[in-house]
Amino acid sequence: MTDQLSARVFAKLYRDSVTLMALASAAQRIEGVVQVGAVMATPANLAILRESAMLPSDITPAPDDLLIVVRAADEASAEEALSLVEAGLTSAESAPGTVTEVRPATVREGLSRDVGLTVAAVSTPGTYAPVVVEQALRSGLHVFCFSDNVPVEDEIRLKQLAVSSGRLLMGPDCGTAVLDGVPLGFANVLRPGPVAIVAASGTGAQEVSCLLDAAGIGVAQVIGVGGRDLTAEVGGLMTNLALDLVSADPEVAAVVLVSKPPAQAVAAQVLDRLASLGRPAVACLLGEDDTDGPVAVRGTLEGGAAAVAHLLGGALDLDEGSAADALTGLNLPTARGILGLYTGGTLASETKVILRRAGVTAQVLDLGDDEYTAGRPHPMIDPAARADRVAATGGRSDIGLVLVDLVLGHGSADDPATPLAEAATRAIQDARTDGRELLVIGSVCGTSADPQGRDGQRRILEDAGVVVFASNAAAARFAAEIATSTAEVQK
Amino acid sequence: MIPGGVRVLNVGLPLIVSAVPDDDVVQLDWRPPAFGDAEAGRLMAGLQTPDTAAANEVAVGRMQSVRPQLVGVRAARDVVPGMDAGRLLLHAGPPISVERMCGPMLGALMGASVFEGWAASGDEALALLRDGEIAVDPCHHHATVGPMAGVVSPSMPVVIVEDDRQRAFATLNEGLGKVLRFGAYDAEVIARLTWMRDVLGPAVDAALAAAGPVDVTSLVAQALTMGDEGHNRNVAATSLLSRRLAPAIAALPDGAEVLGFLARNDHFMLNVSMAAAKLSADAANGVAGSSLVTTMSRNGVEFGLRVSGTGDQWFTAPVGPADGLFFPGYSIADANPDLGDSAITETVGLGGFAMAAAPAITQFVGGTPDDALAISRSMRRITVRPHPAYPIPSLNFTGTPSGIDVLAVLDTGVLPVINTGIAHREAGVGQIGAGIVTAPPEVFVAAVHALAAEAGQ
Repeated sequence: MTDQLSARVFAKLYRDSVTLMALASAAQRIEGVVQVGAVMATPANLAILRESAMLPSDITPAPDDLLIVVRAADEASAEEALSLVEAGLTSAESAPGTVTEVRPATVREGLSRDVGLTVAAVSTPGTYAPVVVEQALRSGLHVFCFSDNVPVEDEIRLKQLAVSSGRLLMGPDCGTAVLDGVPLGFANVLRPGPVAIVAASGTGAQEVSCLLDAAGIGVAQVIGVGGRDLTAEVGGLMTNLALDLVSADPEVAAVVLVSKPPAQAVAAQVLDRLASLGRPAVACLLGEDDTDGPVAVRGTLEGGAAAVAHLLGGALDLDEGSAADALTGLNLPTARGILGLYTGGTLASETKVILRRAGVTAQVLDLGDDEYTAGRPHPMIDPAARADRVAATGGRSDIGLVLVDLVLGHGSADDPATPLAEAATRAIQDARTDGRELLVIGSVCGTSADPQGRDGQRRILEDAGVVVFASNAAAARFAAEIATSTAEVQK
Repeated sequence: MIPGGVRVLNVGLPLIVSAVPDDDVVQLDWRPPAFGDAEAGRLMAGLQTPDTAAANEVAVGRMQSVRPQLVGVRAARDVVPGMDAGRLLLHAGPPISVERMCGPMLGALMGASVFEGWAASGDEALALLRDGEIAVDPCHHHATVGPMAGVVSPSMPVVIVEDDRQRAFATLNEGLGKVLRFGAYDAEVIARLTWMRDVLGPAVDAALAAAGPVDVTSLVAQALTMGDEGHNRNVAATSLLSRRLAPAIAALPDGAEVLGFLARNDHFMLNVSMAAAKLSADAANGVAGSSLVTTMSRNGVEFGLRVSGTGDQWFTAPVGPADGLFFPGYSIADANPDLGDSAITETVGLGGFAMAAAPAITQFVGGTPDDALAISRSMRRITVRPHPAYPIPSLNFTGTPSGIDVLAVLDTGVLPVINTGIAHREAGVGQIGAGIVTAPPEVFVAAVHALAAEAGQ
C-alpha cells in the first residue's frame, strides 16, 4: 500500500464525539483521502485506531488531547483533510439563527395558509393533474385546469364530482377564463359588461370577447370548459353547470357558447338549455351553418360575436373597407397557394371553415397543436418557432399568401408582433429576390388594454407590410377572395 | 359569480395567474405526489375525505391518550403472550425466515438459544433454527418490541408497561459494547444475560414494587426538556428513572452492582420508552378507514409498516444501511441494513420527530439546532396533530409532531425521519455509528393501495 498516514495532535482541546465524527466524515469525502479518524486520544480510542492500522507509531498523545489521523493517497490530499478538520475545530458558529419559512407544497398546505381561497389553477403535468384537481374540488374550490393529456375517464369522473358540489372544473386543457373580471391563463383585458361566454375553445373565446370589446361591448364572465366537454362522452357536464352559474349572475344580459360542433345528442340538449336561460343566447359552433332558431347558431367566431352584438343593439366594427383600401397599390401574389400559420387553434379552425365555405383549398396549421409543440413552449408564449416558419415561406414558389394570427393578452409573449413582423419582412423580400410577390395577411386578437397593446402590435405588423384585418374571419375571407379571383395574378 | 372573490391557489406555472393581484394568489411549491406514482396519487386523493380525517382523529386520540405505567419486570415466559411454552424466540421487524436474516439477527438468535440451554453452541443453535426446531416470530406480534436484533427468549426479563386496558413488553437494555442485540453471543454476553436474569431483573422489579409504578409519559416528557429526543439520546430519561428507583435499589443486597450498571448505561430507559410507545401505538390499531401509521420497524433486510385501517397487515420494502456518522475505523461499507423495533418511538412522535428537543445530538442531522428544528417542523407536515403530553420549548411549547398519516406522506413526499444506531454487518462487532434514516417510500405506496381496496375504491 502506497497510502500514507498523517496525524495532527491538538493538546488539551476537547470536542464531543459527534462533532469529531461529522468533521471526519466531511474530510473523508476529499479525493485521495482513504480514511479519517478524529478522536479524543483516550486509550480506548487509540486501541481502536491501532486495530484498524490508523495509529502512527511516532506519536504519544495524552488522553485529553485531540487527535486527527488521515490515511491518504498523497501528501496534498492528507494536508487538505487535516486542514479541513482543523478549520472545523476552530471555526466559530456562523450559521444564521433563523429557520426559513417552508412554502406550501400541497393543496392542503396552501389552503391552511389562506382560508379565503376560492379557485385552484392547475398546470401540472397531465399525469398528476387529476390528483390535484380532485384534491381541490374536495376542498371546495373551483378549478381552472390548464393541464392537458388528462384521460377522458378522469375528466368525466372529476366533472361529475365537480357538478355534485356545484363547483366549476374548467378544463382539462382549458386555456382561458375571466371570472368576475379576473383573467386566468391566456386572457385579454376586457371591459366589464353584460356578456357571458362559455367556451370549449380557448382562442375562440378570446376572439369573440375581443371583437365585442372593440365594438364597445364588455364581458362579465368567460368560462372555459375544456375542448372535450361537448363530446358524447363528457356530455356537456360543465357547459351545463357554467350556463346555470352565468344565468344566475344578474350582470349577465346575453350568453354565447363557443365550441367546435358538439356531438349530435349533446347539441340538441345544449341548444335547448341555451333557449331556456331566461336571457338571449348565441351558439357559436364552428363550422355549423348559420341558422336563426330559438337560439341563433353561427359557424364562425366573428358571426357569433356579431350576433351577440346585434342582440344587445350594437354592431361589430370590422373596418373591412380600410383593409381593402390598404391593398390598393399592393401587388397581387404570384402564386395562389395559401398557407395558414396559426398560434391559436380555434382561429385556425375558423379560417378553415371560411376557406372551405368559399371552396378554397389551403394548408392551415395550428402550431399550438401537440404535433408541433413537442418539447417546446406554446407558440403564443414563444413566438420564435412560428416566425421561423413564416420566414421560410419566402423560399416557396407555390405559396402566394400567408395567413397569420397574433394573440395578445395575459400569458402571451410580451411582444409577439416584432418576431412575426421581422419574419414577414424577410419572407416578402426573399420572394421578391426570387421574382415573386408574397402577401402576408392576418389579424390581431387582443384589446387596447392588453399588456402588449393591440394598436401598437398592429402597427408593427403593418409597418412590415403585413395586411392586418379587424377580425380573423375578415382576413380569411380576403384570402379566399384573392385565391378565387380571376384577376391577373402574373405581373 | 364567485362569493368571496377570485382568490387563487396556483398549482404549477406562475404565468397562469400573472394577471391576478399578488395578494389574491397562493403559489404552491408543488411537486408530483406519491413519489411520482400517479396511480398511488389518485388513490390518495380519493381517500382524502372527511371520513378518513375523522377516523384518523379517533386513532390518534387513542394513541395520544394512553398513559403507560411501568409496573414491573418478569421473565418473558410468564407475561409475554404466546411465550409460555415451546421453543420460541422473538425478533425485531416484520416477519422474516431464518434463511433471509442478517448477521446480527442470526447471531442474537443463536446466542439466545445458547442462553436458554437449547443448544450447546452457535452452530447447533443455527441448525435448530433452520430446521424449525426453534421457532421465530416478530416481537410486534406479541405486544413486545426490541431494539436492534430485538431478540427475546422465554427466560429473559422484560419490562411490563400497562394501562387499564393493555400491556406491552420490552427486554432490559444491555448497554453498549459486545451485546446480544448487535449479534454478539460469546461467554461475556451470555454471562451478562444471566446476571440480568438473576440480578438486574429482580432488582428493578423489586424497586418498582416499592417505588413504582412509573408514569412513563411524564418521565419522557421531562426528559425531552432535558435534551433527550427519546430514541438516540436517552441519558436524561435514564437518569430520571435511575434517580427514581435508586433509593429502593440501594437497599437491595446487590444494589450497588445494579446501580453501577444503570450508571454505565445511557440507554437503559430506551427499552422502557419503546414498550410504552408500543402500548400507545397498539391502542390506535384497527380503526376502520384510518390511514394512521401504527408500526414502523426493520429486521435488517426489510422495513415494515402497519396502518390502523388495515390492521395487522405488513407493508414491506427492502431497507438499506443508514448513512450516518461512523465511529473511527468504520464506514458505511461495514454497516448492516437498518435494524430494530426502536422506530416505534418515531411512530408516536419521539426520536426524529422530537429532534428539536435534542440540540446536543443535532450534528447527526448535519449541523445546527436550526436544522433539528427544521426536521421536527417538517414532520408536522405528515402528522395528524402535536402530542399533547410532549411540549417542546423550541417549538414554542407545542407538542412533538405525532401520528403519521400515510396520505400526508404521499401528498407531501416527506418521509418519516428515524434516528437510529448503526450495527456492524457482522454478528457481534456491535454499534459502529449512528445517524438518520427515512422510511422507504414503497411501503406508503403499498399501504395506500390496501387502504383503497379496504375502502372499496
